[in-house]
Amino acid sequence: MKLTPSVLELDLSEIEKRIRRFIEKYVENSGADGIVVGLSGGIDSSTIAALSSLSIGGDRVLGLMLPEKETYNPKDIDDAKLVAEKFGLKTQICDITPVLESFYKTIPIFDQADKLCKGNIKARTRMIYIYYYANKLNRIVCGSSDKSETMMGYFTKWGDVAADISPIMDLYKTQVRKLAAYLGLPAELAAKPSTPALWPNQLAETELGIKYETLDLILYGLERFMTTEEIARQLNIENTLVKKVKNRWLSAEHKRRMLLTAKLEYRTMGTDFRLPRDAY
Amino acid sequence: MKEKIKLAFAQISSKRENKKENLQKIEECTIKAKEQAADLVIFPELSLTGYVVRDQIYELAETIPGSATKKIEGIARKTGMHVIFGMPELSEKTKATIFNTAVFIGPKGFIGKYRKMYLPTHSVFEEKRYFRPGYQTAAFNTALGNIGLCICYDLFFPEVCRLTRLKGAQLIVSISASPSIRRSFFEILTAARALENTAFLAYVNLVGVEEGLQFWGGSRLVSPTGDVLAKAKYDEEDFVTCEVDYNDIRPAETFIPTLRDLRPELFDELKKYSELL
Repeated sequence: MKLTPSVLELDLSEIEKRIRRFIEKYVENSGADGIVVGLSGGIDSSTIAALSSLSIGGDRVLGLMLPEKETYNPKDIDDAKLVAEKFGLKTQICDITPVLESFYKTIPIFDQADKLCKGNIKARTRMIYIYYYANKLNRIVCGSSDKSETMMGYFTKWGDVAADISPIMDLYKTQVRKLAAYLGLPAELAAKPSTPALWPNQLAETELGIKYETLDLILYGLERFMTTEEIARQLNIENTLVKKVKNRWLSAEHKRRMLLTAKLEYRTMGTDFRLPRDAY
Repeated sequence: MKEKIKLAFAQISSKRENKKENLQKIEECTIKAKEQAADLVIFPELSLTGYVVRDQIYELAETIPGSATKKIEGIARKTGMHVIFGMPELSEKTKATIFNTAVFIGPKGFIGKYRKMYLPTHSVFEEKRYFRPGYQTAAFNTALGNIGLCICYDLFFPEVCRLTRLKGAQLIVSISASPSIRRSFFEILTAARALENTAFLAYVNLVGVEEGLQFWGGSRLVSPTGDVLAKAKYDEEDFVTCEVDYNDIRPAETFIPTLRDLRPELFDELKKYSELL
């Protein structure tokens, strides 16, 4: 197998159809009245907002914009509104700053300098708002995690990844960008650098230490059981970089799976209690 | 035996774990097939229960005969139809040994069954976790000709179709629950199995979304020369009728004499080397 950008090409029309069918059937089977999405103004959530609206109609999709003062960027709000307008979904803005400040004030060991722990509070607070709306409106939460970030564990456990379904979790970031363009999302949105918005000027590629174009090919190789040596050789990069990506992927499995428990009884959650998730 | 028969492909989505609703659908489709003058109506793999039922399989599996087959025998008797469908079959001799089975019922009752021999247990598939494999290929002499049965992943192993053909099958029926990601494989294999055996091959696949898997439909009748004679829609429920003319086998067999050219001694070699793999 040749590890070139062409391996990541997709039949976008077919992908769109499959994702739309998946969303539509899940909402139908669940008996929910619609979908809530967290709308950040980034490429992943914009794509999910578009796909949700195309699947079940924009009037049944609510895009929640959840800004906070440290990472506030009016451009993100404008972009999110643009997507909402184009795909006909409803939106709601909730400024989560006061809630965050309450957390900061009331956690006795709170450390202002620890960006990550503080940032995770933001992601988890957004999750609470999104699930409140979903519960209150009898809707499901449609997550917007992509495959690159999920494999890398580049998300907040129980935070931005929390959702009932994650329709683009099997697409790498560069594939999501192409799908977004195919769906008619503004080109500048695809070109916008990704950020989890946990602290000011946080950029995904800087933090991950690699461009998505390279990362996606490494992950694609790992997905297909290629050795790190072979991936490094084909991409003409250092094996240490590929190994670093591989280790990060393997060490984040605890963030992707049902929580682990000690095997004590006959059938156990997350291991041999094996039931369908979408049959009822 | 009839020289020409009419098939109906009931490309349905099953309501998971709801045998009552699925039996209702099977009845409706069988009546529809009768109205369209079909002789045989074919339903997908595990159409009685849905495909992804995981541990619930232990509650859903039934013996043959059992209440589901009795119900379908009643439908077949009432309509004068032949019916092939898929179900989890509970062994009569044990309490929790289950087979992935294709059942063949005619207007006069039960004709036969085939227990899936090759159980996919890789990627998203976990059939060996739940099913015991079958040990016999199946070809049945019926009023509609000699009809062989196989199920889905069996198509990857040419020996299953070949054996049914060597037992006399002129029409091989493959019932399936194949997800979209594997569509291209099945489009190749259905043609190959028909062509290499110079037999008709009827492939009937599930549709619907189960546990994120999207079954692609695309049910089809393939001629003994590998041509697709009839095809159902991709991804949606569909109902297609088509004709099998057994007279087409003779010219196919003369033009592509694969059965004449069989080399039995190679099968000994095949056995030897497959054991050494």
